[in-house]
Amino acid sequence: MNENRRQILDLLAAGKINADEAERLLVALEDPAPEANGPAEPQPKTKAKYLRVLVEANQKGGPATVNVRVPMQLLRAGVRLASLIPAQAHEHLDEALSSHGVPLTLSQIKPENLEELIDHLEDLTVDVDAKENQAKVRVFCE
Amino acid sequence: MTPNIAIVHVSNPHWRGLHLWLPLFLLWIPLVLLSPLILLVVFCVCLAGRVNPWRAIAAFWGISCSLPGTDVHVSAHGNQVLVRIL
Repeated sequence: MNENRRQILDLLAAGKINADEAERLLVALEDPAPEANGPAEPQPKTKAKYLRVLVEANQKGGPATVNVRVPMQLLRAGVRLASLIPAQAHEHLDEALSSHGVPLTLSQIKPENLEELIDHLEDLTVDVDAKENQAKVRVFCE
Repeated sequence: MTPNIAIVHVSNPHWRGLHLWLPLFLLWIPLVLLSPLILLVVFCVCLAGRVNPWRAIAAFWGISCSLPGTDVHVSAHGNQVLVRIL
């Protein structure tokens, strides 16, 4: 029990405050004081412009590196191509995808879903460190 | 904005290498001259594939406009390839 709580209980025991006042004081003690300037506003998130893929590997013939930078705008434009796939091709694609273990129904994917997917790519970071092959793969947005 | 210049560098330890600056903006000249023919072909292909030609043109225009900034650099065993679109 902390000092403030003990003082309130002492005041109640001495009859200087009644039970209601003591309760109000205890509740006020438990609630954290609001910040003087109000809650801090979240920092505006800068939009990522590029998707980067970095691969570093040590092979027998020497080190190999791959450094790819793709504009996010290109990804957005690319996924819009999916809307050009004719409806009759969807079934074939769905079958092919499910046979390869990807249970995806293309007809259920709407353009707004794809936009959302690209938006969430900005939060994606993939780090792969394969010690056996001394290879490192990094995928991130910047 | 459509891509204006493509930079292609290819090099290896046994060769002087290839350094190319491709002025992509010059492609506008034949593209504009051949545009009636290109549009006709695009419309025929789209109608054959039951695709809305306007949407197809918009999609490809969007891709070509978003190409600038693309950068691919691969190096292995002393060989290097760099493709940069500006």
